Amino acid sequence: MNYPIWELYELTSGTLVAIISVFHAFIAHLAVGGGLFLWLTDLKSTKENNLELTQYVRKHTKFFLLLTMVAGGVTGVGIWFIIALANPAATSSLIHNFVFGWAIEWVFFIGEIVALLIYHYRFDVMKQKQRLNVAFLYFLFAWLSMVVINGILAYMLTPGKWLETGEFWDGFFNPTYFPSLLFRSAAAAMIAGMFGYVTVVFSLKSKFRSKMLKYCTKWLLYPVPFIIIGGIWYLYSIPETLRITNFTMNSQASSVILIFIVSSILIFVFGLFINLKIKPVYQKILIFVILIIGQAWYGGFEYLREYARKPFIITDHMYSTSILLKDADLLNKEGVLKHAKWTPIKEVTNDNIREAGRELFNIQCLCCHTIDGVKNDILKKTKNLTYMGMLSHLEGQGRILKYMPPVFGTVKEKEALAEFIIGDLHKRKIERVPEKFTHLKKLNHEVPAFDKKNDDYVLFVWNDLGMSCTFDSDPWWVILPPKNTFEATLIKRGETPEIITEGVELTYKVEKGFEEPVNRDPQFWEYSKSNYGKELEKNIGLTGNGMSGKFTYNEDKVVFIASAIPITPYPDDMPYNPYALFDIEAKDMETGKLLMKTKVVAPNSTEAGCKNCHAGGWRYEGVSGISDQTAINVLHAHDRISGTNLYEEAKDGKPQNCKACHLHPDLENKDPNQTLDLAAAMHGWHSNYMPFENENACRLCHPDSPDGSTKCSRSIHDVLGMTCVDCHGHINDHAISVLKGQSYKTASKKYLDIIKPVRFSSQDEIDPRIPWENEPECLSCHEDYEKPEKGFTSFNKWSPNKPEIFRYRTDDAGIRCVLCHNAPHAEFPARNIWGVNRDNIQPVQYQGNPLPIGSEQSCYVCHKKSMEDPIHHENMMRKFRNAELVKKEGLM
Amino acid sequence: MDPNSLIPSPDTIPAPSWVFILLEQLLFLLHIIVINAALGGAIITLVKRFKMKDEEYTALYKPAAVKLPILIALGINFAIPPLLFLQVVFGNLFYSSSVLMAVYWIMIIPLLVIAYYGFYIHSAKLTSSPRFSKAAIACSILIMLYIGLMLVTNNSLMVQPEKWSAYFENRGGTILNFSDPAIFPRYLHFITASIAVGSLFFAFIYKFKKHENSEVLIKNSLKIFAIATSFQVLVGTWYLLAIPSEFIPNFMGKDIVSSLVLLIGFLFGIISIIVAFKGNFNLTIITLFITMVAMITTRHNLRMMYLEDNFTLNQLILVPQYGVLALFLFVLLLGLVAIGYMLKIGFPKTNGEAV
Repeated sequence: MNYPIWELYELTSGTLVAIISVFHAFIAHLAVGGGLFLWLTDLKSTKENNLELTQYVRKHTKFFLLLTMVAGGVTGVGIWFIIALANPAATSSLIHNFVFGWAIEWVFFIGEIVALLIYHYRFDVMKQKQRLNVAFLYFLFAWLSMVVINGILAYMLTPGKWLETGEFWDGFFNPTYFPSLLFRSAAAAMIAGMFGYVTVVFSLKSKFRSKMLKYCTKWLLYPVPFIIIGGIWYLYSIPETLRITNFTMNSQASSVILIFIVSSILIFVFGLFINLKIKPVYQKILIFVILIIGQAWYGGFEYLREYARKPFIITDHMYSTSILLKDADLLNKEGVLKHAKWTPIKEVTNDNIREAGRELFNIQCLCCHTIDGVKNDILKKTKNLTYMGMLSHLEGQGRILKYMPPVFGTVKEKEALAEFIIGDLHKRKIERVPEKFTHLKKLNHEVPAFDKKNDDYVLFVWNDLGMSCTFDSDPWWVILPPKNTFEATLIKRGETPEIITEGVELTYKVEKGFEEPVNRDPQFWEYSKSNYGKELEKNIGLTGNGMSGKFTYNEDKVVFIASAIPITPYPDDMPYNPYALFDIEAKDMETGKLLMKTKVVAPNSTEAGCKNCHAGGWRYEGVSGISDQTAINVLHAHDRISGTNLYEEAKDGKPQNCKACHLHPDLENKDPNQTLDLAAAMHGWHSNYMPFENENACRLCHPDSPDGSTKCSRSIHDVLGMTCVDCHGHINDHAISVLKGQSYKTASKKYLDIIKPVRFSSQDEIDPRIPWENEPECLSCHEDYEKPEKGFTSFNKWSPNKPEIFRYRTDDAGIRCVLCHNAPHAEFPARNIWGVNRDNIQPVQYQGNPLPIGSEQSCYVCHKKSMEDPIHHENMMRKFRNAELVKKEGLM
Repeated sequence: MDPNSLIPSPDTIPAPSWVFILLEQLLFLLHIIVINAALGGAIITLVKRFKMKDEEYTALYKPAAVKLPILIALGINFAIPPLLFLQVVFGNLFYSSSVLMAVYWIMIIPLLVIAYYGFYIHSAKLTSSPRFSKAAIACSILIMLYIGLMLVTNNSLMVQPEKWSAYFENRGGTILNFSDPAIFPRYLHFITASIAVGSLFFAFIYKFKKHENSEVLIKNSLKIFAIATSFQVLVGTWYLLAIPSEFIPNFMGKDIVSSLVLLIGFLFGIISIIVAFKGNFNLTIITLFITMVAMITTRHNLRMMYLEDNFTLNQLILVPQYGVLALFLFVLLLGLVAIGYMLKIGFPKTNGEAV
């Protein structure tokens, strides 16, 4: 923001920081521990009057000086140089807050150098006691250097009270100061032992050599308890949130943790090996092995320390991107570019969008991400994303996965950044909205005859859901199979109509072209065993029903049911049609006489929008369905985020049924470790990443885009201009409601901690709900079945339990609401993009209009005559309110 | 583009700016003396080695040559505080210019490691492998010349924000401010000073390390100093004429303090040449020291002239940490006592040998 940025796209300056620092830290700790080693070993040689040992100390000093003073000293300055190039703002902050700390450290450094030079060059000139004093002074200065630097390094991880006071000492003696000092001091002694081996192996003869090897091994062993105590103390001094964010949620950290643990063990294994009676040449090789492992071990520790404070460079003060925490709101409101000094672009316009994106990349990404480079390559990290996926990532970054800083800036700026990454770097097409479906046809259908005077029966059939979605990514994972369920009621007409429950046979038969779905798309049947636990015959669904068959009567629901018909939207004669029609007939079982026949749509869509963000394109003839690539990308994302191994398992022939883990909430057993149910998991996660508001957010995933192939929401509410959010709420509010319904789960709390309500001032105002049990309550808007007040929403007015939700509920006379009003999302009069009255066949058949059954006082449909009392529900004996609009839409 | 719009906002400073400027100048003086001695010493060593036979050279110059690594160690160490205190006052400028030349700037570090080892190799292989030894020191000299050029460039770029807009055409960290006509005389000023001070380093060694040819060696060294410094007068004049013309009057009486300081430096420089030609070691050291103090002050004065339009010390907000400043001074005192103690026991008087 404040400083120019070094465009080191293939490497990043951060990589250089890592390389220099990891090496320097190892040598710098040797400088400290080695000081103690020299002093104590020299003391031992003096006490024992052991000339051989004195000579060893002398030789070791030369090696030690050449390594620590030259390579160690210069790389120390090197860290300073490189951090000032990589993150000048943070370096400036450290220098200005702690300049006198650094100055004190320099005094110790010069003392250290003078002591070491004198010790080395005047070794033989000085008296023993004086020499020991110099050795001690060397160690003291070296350790004091660490005492100072440790304060500043620990401050970056845990600034403690400094955040409030800004006081030097509050920052210096911070919560991890002492554990870090203990750990580092012990580690320094250990490293001294490792390097002690070098002089032993390369310059001592056999007997003394093995004695000294044992001596050096002790230097490896004795610090161990202090390392363990210091390490644990250190780890638990880090605030829990940072610990979880960086060690549990950041999958990158796990490999470093592994390196740290394995190398810790290997150091001792090889340390013991070297003491065995083996040839000197092997000992020399072993030494290099030990030092390399030691470097990995200490580098691992320093890396973990760096990871621990992500996404900050100075925790809770400055992000890795140099952006100050306190500036976040300002930058989101006014834009990053406006406040960045080193950019020629101050505002995103249509003409400069990619250039602006590059500037924003430099400011907010380049500190960690290379472009086609050595680490954290942005091309690899974003290869599975579309423009919208990228935009979503930018929106959600830093919310759940907090090890990355949030991306700041205005909406325009985020769009520019996404366009730069996808358009300029990946050279991919920018699709700002889901692509338009171009195979749409207005389909005609026949309406079966109905003689309102003479017909004795009337047959009502509806789909149990307004839209049955199929996830056809069977080789990888599934959520829902092709399964449409019809419910039907046969009524014997008369003044007092009779619901017929026996002595009749109801059959269904799909229209031409849909009879053999397996021919068009066999995946469901190929994977049914592993995905759904059943080996299925071709064209047969999960409950044994095929594409034509019989209904069975269900006493509990008081309806005839034909369940789980495996309809897919892939007919023989066209690429896609999500609204297949079925012929339904009711016959007298004894006589075989046709009592009534009708038609009904079986809405089934594979227009799941995963590919909008996760890339991969459509699977089925370029029109719909989840492609292998999309499905794989989703699994990769799941594996990365949740630490699962789903991709490999699927690749080995074990695809996943998401609902096998994401079960419906078990409210009887409130185990906090339960996995979230699918609705809470999906909305809880994705709500953080939504770059769109309102219904556009819903439509990114659900099949309701006006330009899409399905337009699931097609009821009168849709005709009136209402959208998803009018009933279900804004995605954040929606997510909060389902998460609160299972708030006893740890995962739920994690999301609730971060999702901010949109239309409510706090989460407390949002009522919890259980998906599929508490749904938007119709009567909350249609109070007393009246016209709703303007601006009213049914969000937060949930039906109390499953039987009370619209699709199960009955009227005052025991008739199911859906019988007259049709399935949710398709309530009469519905407007279907594949043919205006495709959903309204029954009202058109029985009433001659698409309105709800019985409206406009068409009581005759069942009663054969007009009735006077509104026995089904209040306020039904009236004119249909929106008849004019319905006419205008061409529905009647 | 308005150069001021690029200057990063500075952070607060924990003591008045003069404290840091004073500390920077004092420790820079120490640093530049040691580094001049190291580089000049190395150059003279190499020249001598090419002019003399190995045995002859070893007999005469070994005592001085083997001390070069120690000079480097101290020179690097003394570089830290001036760079630290510079970053407190001018950090926002310095970090910006460093990023602009980042590639060249960071190369200093690995090259310095090589140069440092080069000095050790030179002294370790002085007799056992003279060729390798010469190659090592030649390599170290080249690197030090490179580092000096980069330091001069960064110092120059830092005070000229009007040059910074070059960043928008080149963000790869490879901008060098070689279009500044003052860079080369300034750099040559440093190299010439190094040869002068380097020769004094030899004289210094032979002053304390008795040698059969000490007298001659000291005289020769002082002669090299005098010649180099005479040349330095020309270089200095070139440098003065190469700085932006609007600053020159400031040194010609318009700004009395700056003019006076430069005049003192100039006069004592001339005196040092005369006394060096006369072979007076002590007076040469004293007059050179005064010259260097005056020139370092002039260096600071010039820096402030460059910055006048873009940055003033008043912009820095003071949030004092006087307690920690006092602690630093106290620790510094303790450190000096400890160093004094170590030097005392490392170099007992009876021995009579110097570093």
